[in-house]
Amino acid sequence: MAIGDIWDLIILNPMINVLITTSEYLFDNFGLTIIVLTVVINLLMYPLTQKQLKASKAMQSVQSQVAEIKKKYAKDKQKAAEEQMRLFKESGVSYAGCILPMLAQMPVWIVLYQSIIRVLAVSPEDFLNLAPRLYSAWPNVFSLVPLEQSFLGLDLAAPNPILALLVGASMWVQQKMMTPATADPQQRAQSQMMQWMMPMMFAFLGLSFPSGLALYWVTSTTIRIVMQYMATGWGSLVAAPTSGKDTGNRGRAARQKKPLSDADTSADIIVEASTAQEEGSDYGQLGDKRQDSGRSNPAGPGSTRRQPGGGGSNRRKRK
Amino acid sequence: MVVILLGLLALSACQTGTGALARGWSGVAIADDILFVGSMDGRLVAVNLDDGSRLWDIPLETEPKSTGGFLNCAPSGPTSVAIYGTPAVADDLVYVGGYNSKIYAFKVDEASPRAEPRRVSRELNIRGPIVGGIIASEGKVYLGAADGKVYALDAADGFKEWDFETGDKIWATPVIDGNTLYIGSFDENLYALDISDGTRKWQFGTEGPVVSTPLVHDGTVYFGAFDRHFYALNASDGSLKWEFEAENWFWARPVIRDGVIYASSLDGKVYVLNAETGEKQLDFDLGSPVSSSPVMVGNKLVVVATAVSKDSSVVYTLDTTNNRRDELLILEEKVYAPITAGDGKVYIHTEADALYEIDVESGARREFDIEQKDS
Repeated sequence: MAIGDIWDLIILNPMINVLITTSEYLFDNFGLTIIVLTVVINLLMYPLTQKQLKASKAMQSVQSQVAEIKKKYAKDKQKAAEEQMRLFKESGVSYAGCILPMLAQMPVWIVLYQSIIRVLAVSPEDFLNLAPRLYSAWPNVFSLVPLEQSFLGLDLAAPNPILALLVGASMWVQQKMMTPATADPQQRAQSQMMQWMMPMMFAFLGLSFPSGLALYWVTSTTIRIVMQYMATGWGSLVAAPTSGKDTGNRGRAARQKKPLSDADTSADIIVEASTAQEEGSDYGQLGDKRQDSGRSNPAGPGSTRRQPGGGGSNRRKRK
Repeated sequence: MVVILLGLLALSACQTGTGALARGWSGVAIADDILFVGSMDGRLVAVNLDDGSRLWDIPLETEPKSTGGFLNCAPSGPTSVAIYGTPAVADDLVYVGGYNSKIYAFKVDEASPRAEPRRVSRELNIRGPIVGGIIASEGKVYLGAADGKVYALDAADGFKEWDFETGDKIWATPVIDGNTLYIGSFDENLYALDISDGTRKWQFGTEGPVVSTPLVHDGTVYFGAFDRHFYALNASDGSLKWEFEAENWFWARPVIRDGVIYASSLDGKVYVLNAETGEKQLDFDLGSPVSSSPVMVGNKLVVVATAVSKDSSVVYTLDTTNNRRDELLILEEKVYAPITAGDGKVYIHTEADALYEIDVESGARREFDIEQKDS
């Protein structure tokens, strides 16, 4: 028996029949069924998702140290790798901790995705391909197909531009929350490109897919946004608030900042109102003091860049 | 990485299809030694049965169709119109319906069979794909469409005589017996309509869509439905005579011979039922779904079972005199189109757009070339 046949027999076909049967208990409404099953499955996978989010967050928390190691041992890659491994070991983080939980979830996402496609039978060929997958021991499934494909004014079997936009928008929000702030201009540029490229690609794809599939995407992404928020907060989605008050923390930020030299006059950075404590406050709440080191970066949030030759003074302005 | 993997998942949907692979499965119509078939790329093809040569082929649509959108994921079939129904021939006109909601009529030059036919067109307000076949009778053509309506059109000019609206799309082919037209609908009903004006005589409710073409014989209407039941109704008033339950949908048209019904199901079995009582006499388990309507040739029922997960079909003959089953032909292609019989031979149109003529007795096979020729 081919792998595909095994997959169909033990994973895909059961999900298809569950999907159809569930709709009978949800007012014969396929759209509602998609939403409910997506929520249920995501909740069942929550322990794995939580593990993955925490591992990712922990990985992000040591990135600055990783960067320092790479900088320190730029000419000795082996030493850099050794130090990196030692850091991971001491911190208890690993790439496997990030990837393995996600890989374990992949079959579930794939099967839900494939089963929605098949149940949304539109063409005669779709029906013929669906029929052999239905369980004869569950007689109701035969009479339930085709499922009601209208949901909130949508035709679930046809593309819908509004849902496609929601696919892109929700993905953008999730991407933004997941992407850590970085001072490295190159990394920042890459992050920004990914933040826009993937959501736009999915929005375009959403214009071609049946809206039932887009509904699944939006529901799943929304749930993951909630889970992400519970694990790591809003992340980069919400910019750190700025304040006009001169607090004692400003002095601390000043002490953390590198002393300016004449060589810096062409790239003056003025730290305005954000304080070391206000920036990255989510990390602070979780007791991750290593995140504070990011705020010594003169290009951190809340800073403005003075144009070269625009005044000459290198002094930080007080407000 | 999550997003990249999700992206691969999304792209895979473009490969597996999202309900957009409407390719068609036209059956074969034969009239005066000329065979007519709708190709998978949206052409009506005429073949001379004597020598197997192609007489002509003409695309239903002459304008190129748009591609499948971004990354080819959008709903689209092949380059042209998908043709599901079997063409209908009446006098010198050939009719064929397309998945693009249009019905086409071509006037054949009987004096010059190789001459390209003249297109006879009329814009009709059909708002749904045409999946079932068209039937022609006494100067009219009849068809059902996915807009849920049954249409009766003037055969000569396509003028709409009447239409009848059901509750859901129609994929079935109608059948006429006397002055009554019988047709099934996705609204789970079988309808009996007066062919003169389309008024409803009666309707019979099932618990699943009715897609198969009914069989009318000796005052009884036989048909199967998606509720896995096969029904026998009194043709006069639609009252139930008997019903039989299988393990999957009924899609193919039943066949009757000597008081015995042969009902093929997507559960892979051909059920042999007493036409009067519905009692099962035996069944043939072919191992793969039967969606292509079988035919009777002499004493033999010719039926095709098509595999689900691979491109493979087996053509069987079931001898009705001794219930013996034989393999007539194994094809490495799927077969969904109904089988046509003529003069001891059967004609099979495959999903790979191959067209075969098979002698039922000898098994001799001839293939007709219906591929598009480069201009």
